Amino acid sequence: MSQLSGLASPVVIGILMGGLYVTIALGLSLVFGVMKVINVAHGDLVILGSYLAFSAITIWGLNPLLWLVPSLPLFFILGLLIEKYLLNRAARMSADAALIVAFGLALIVQNASQMIWTPQTRALTTSYSMTTFTVGNVYIPLVYLLDFAAALVVMVALRQFLERTYLGQAITAASQDRQTAELMGINPGRVSQIAFGIAMALAATAGIFFGLTFSFNPTSGTALLIIAFGVTILGGLGSMVGTFIGGMIFGLSQTLGGHFLGPTGQLLVPFLMVLVVLTIRPQGLFGR
Amino acid sequence: MSGNVVLRISDIDVFYGNLQALWGVSLEVKSGEMVAIAGANGAGKTTLLKTISGVLHPSKGSIEYRGKEITGLNAFEIVDRGISHVPEGRRLFPDMTVLQNLIIGSYNSKARAARRENLTRVYELFPILEERKNQLAKTLSGGQQQMVAIGRGLMANPGVIIIDEMSLGLSPILVSELFRTLHEIRGRGITILLVEQNVWRTLHEADRAYVIETGRIVLSGNAQDLVEEEEVRNAYFGA
Repeated sequence: MSQLSGLASPVVIGILMGGLYVTIALGLSLVFGVMKVINVAHGDLVILGSYLAFSAITIWGLNPLLWLVPSLPLFFILGLLIEKYLLNRAARMSADAALIVAFGLALIVQNASQMIWTPQTRALTTSYSMTTFTVGNVYIPLVYLLDFAAALVVMVALRQFLERTYLGQAITAASQDRQTAELMGINPGRVSQIAFGIAMALAATAGIFFGLTFSFNPTSGTALLIIAFGVTILGGLGSMVGTFIGGMIFGLSQTLGGHFLGPTGQLLVPFLMVLVVLTIRPQGLFGR
Repeated sequence: MSGNVVLRISDIDVFYGNLQALWGVSLEVKSGEMVAIAGANGAGKTTLLKTISGVLHPSKGSIEYRGKEITGLNAFEIVDRGISHVPEGRRLFPDMTVLQNLIIGSYNSKARAARRENLTRVYELFPILEERKNQLAKTLSGGQQQMVAIGRGLMANPGVIIIDEMSLGLSPILVSELFRTLHEIRGRGITILLVEQNVWRTLHEADRAYVIETGRIVLSGNAQDLVEEEEVRNAYFGA
């Protein structure tokens, strides 16, 4: 049989996995839009979300999906504090200073995770971890479906918030023109805080679904940051539709690259896509 | 038509870093007036407006609105007090629709309550904006963008609206139309402070005017008197 006949499986898995990447990338994109800072700690914060869920499972035997409920506000508040006491002060000096602070935060989170949870590889194991559906000749793990469903819910909720509320519109306005936003009565410092808080809640969500899908260790965050970065570059920084399409392209090129080129193609192809897009359309497919 | 002083600027100095941009500038705007600040490019007009709206802060002197000092406040707090700033170059949020641009103008707490009435008024003043309400701001023509910018300023429910270089890049017919609208806005009790490079035009429209040169007020008075003064100058010096 040729390689083409088995294409259904990588296509389906690529799209579903792309959903997970969207959830991971949205927080990075949101923070960049408002603060013009690339939060290099984002991947590690996602993994922190995975670890906290891991503890919730092992200590209280909680279902990771139930853990979403307390972890969203927890991460949101943590985000407010990090923005207020760390990033904001640095950002007032320069964008470079904020980048360095974010890098420091990444190191702290990585090393603290190592101390608390050891360098051992973990996973969020549940009763449905191994559940799969068969559609035609394609096996679809339940967790991949959950990943995609979560991405859709997150996208719709975030979009509703950004488009329909004063605060969401303030975030949108500030990411397009910060100084003019202030002339509208928008406090730019507050908007940055809220945006970072939301990005943290997104990281918590991404962390739980990532942990349900893959195993992780304290250094997994770096790879996630690079993937999230690739996704946002593909779609265009600051564009939500772009991030979604970027996630799909990234997921698909990963699984198709693996299908045609073997394991080495899995990350080679998506990053080649990023390079191609950067060359042809540096602002990303949906960038301004 | 004119009543109490709503905006009083007393002897302010403003710096950009080490560079002084305004020197002892004082001016007053009375309730219901249309006051113009005229002057050449780089004279300090925009700096003055930015200082009033809190984007810049004076190193000396004070700014009072309705008898209360607003000198040290942030820009986002000053909108709340009732001064709305329509910035130079329109500065719309390009990827938001016309309606979203207007609505975000009503962000401050006092304006939210009056949002519906203010939106109706803005659509009365600029009917084209209601037709284009779902269009992205960046796709509008320059004139329509200026209408959105003024409309967005009015959505803040201001007592004073300050407008920077409204006529920049617009056709004379459009400019006349916009000035007619400004008179209508003033007729509704909103005080207007204008900055224009087009001195001649502005003096014909405003009640009073201040002429600013290299950061200092050099002339002020009744706009009509200044027109005559300008005529005399032009006649003798051909400036």
